[in-house]
Amino acid sequence: MMINPVLLIAIPLGLAFIAVVFKKLQGWILAIGVAANAFLVFFVEKGETAIGGFKLPFAISLVLDDFSFIGVILVNVLTLAAVAVAFRKTEKYVPVILAGLAGLNGMVLTGDMFNLFVFMEITAISAYILSSEGRKPEQSFNYLVIGSIGSVLYLLGLILIYGQTGTLNMSLMAEKSALIGQAAMVLPLVLIFAGIAVEAKLLPMSGWVRGVLGNSNALTGVMFASVYSSAALMVFGRVFSQVLIPGTTAGVIIIVIALLTFAAGQVSAFRSKSLRQVLLYSSIAQSGLAAALFATGFVFPAVLVIINNAAGKMIMFSTAGNLEEKYGTDDYVGLGGAFVRNMPAGVAFTIAALSLTGLPLVFGFYAKLNVLAAYLNQGTFFVPAVVLAGTIIEGAYFIRILIKLWAPGKEGEWADADQSVGEKKIFNPAGTVVVILVTLLIILSGFLPDSVGKLVAPGGGLLGDEGPSISMTMEKGGDQ
Amino acid sequence: MIKFASLLLIIIGLYGILSTRNVIKILVGINVMEIGINVFIIAMGFVNDGAAPILSVDNPVNVLKFVDPVAQALVLTSIVIGLGITALGLVFARKIHKKYGTYDLSETGGES
Repeated sequence: MMINPVLLIAIPLGLAFIAVVFKKLQGWILAIGVAANAFLVFFVEKGETAIGGFKLPFAISLVLDDFSFIGVILVNVLTLAAVAVAFRKTEKYVPVILAGLAGLNGMVLTGDMFNLFVFMEITAISAYILSSEGRKPEQSFNYLVIGSIGSVLYLLGLILIYGQTGTLNMSLMAEKSALIGQAAMVLPLVLIFAGIAVEAKLLPMSGWVRGVLGNSNALTGVMFASVYSSAALMVFGRVFSQVLIPGTTAGVIIIVIALLTFAAGQVSAFRSKSLRQVLLYSSIAQSGLAAALFATGFVFPAVLVIINNAAGKMIMFSTAGNLEEKYGTDDYVGLGGAFVRNMPAGVAFTIAALSLTGLPLVFGFYAKLNVLAAYLNQGTFFVPAVVLAGTIIEGAYFIRILIKLWAPGKEGEWADADQSVGEKKIFNPAGTVVVILVTLLIILSGFLPDSVGKLVAPGGGLLGDEGPSISMTMEKGGDQ
Repeated sequence: MIKFASLLLIIIGLYGILSTRNVIKILVGINVMEIGINVFIIAMGFVNDGAAPILSVDNPVNVLKFVDPVAQALVLTSIVIGLGITALGLVFARKIHKKYGTYDLSETGGES
């Protein structure tokens, strides 16, 4: 039995309102909502669904193709994981998380550019509220201001394109915008880029990340770095590799900004001393890499980078948030030996770090190999050089952190378990199970990369395949 | 003409946001910017001597004279979203004032 994709939006949105009324049942409502969505996502009908009784392309539509399918799986499964790991912290935010989940599903599924704006705003409002958990209202305000500027720029760019194409439907806009001269598309594309760049954490709109993610806990860290980030990057991919394909000028501008984001993120992560800051700058870097790939048209490797980052950051931010809560610091020098008597959390964190760096036997290797192969097959050598340089920096700061967290004491001396910062359990039992499951998935997909490749791109997507193996399977408008 | 005026409003709003550290004034800047973009959207759908886009037998109108109803629908949605963002911004402003006793972001301490 297949279900209508609108249910992925309607169920959490409906439950969000119900949760406001039935405050005492909020925990149950949240658990049921996120579990139902994570289950139903595998039974959603593929294709384009028109909403509201109008005919396409006039109706707002939801599109579930191979691309958005990966997006909704990431969003719903990771939200379930985030809630399971930090269920205690969700108490005050049940309606917000559920409304945010509705917005995220809408963002990934929608086939209408203005509807995308509406869902991005719903998601952004829930993100602003979640960010206030960091007890730094000025940082949440900063996030709101940057987000508002971004949304106005997005709207301006969108209206300029609407003026030229006369449609908001993504597939029709893709057809019509291809006929418009490149010069006329540069300004609207850059404006839309600025709008999406806020949630996708790309320069110069990533100013909010340090204040918000730097003060995140096990819930908000995972939500921002894994869930929101993946959805925003999938939207970035949808818009810039399938709807509004940038011409030479706009393409170069976007790719340069994305690569600068990658390089700046890696260097800033290397210079940071706080665990959450390292992770947040690493997230910025990974976003930059995925955006550069999408803007070049390499959809398959970009999706692999997003999956790898989402799984890795889910483990790492929940660990970092819990460490900060248990020991009152997230300076990794001050957390020496925290993993010594916390084997499951330590091993999970280590595997996630290795996967993000792209070492063999874990999923990240397959992702990085695809990134490099895509560019090298195309005959581009500059970008792989930047990616490899970034990987070396990434490896250096992750190894530095891992050494500190596994081996207490001073450098050059014998590391004794008694010198470790403490023996406090990092995760509760449910959290441990979730983290171990995600770690097993990272390892398993490292051994069976082709199966993951087939799941991500059933139509092909071979190693280093330069063409976007995932394409929109929208029907032309007019028929319902 | 009205398009340029609306773009000017967006720039004034952006200047307002960037030139002050007072949270209330920043929110006013955001609102000016949002009004600018809303007027711009309406201006995109504007037709000189245009008519409401309603086809009727009693009052036949040249369809080329119809103003674009999509632009108006977009603005309606955009206004509602703007209201939500402003309300939330004011909540944060209140929280900032409660915590630091000031609306000035430069007096709220460190960056992170």
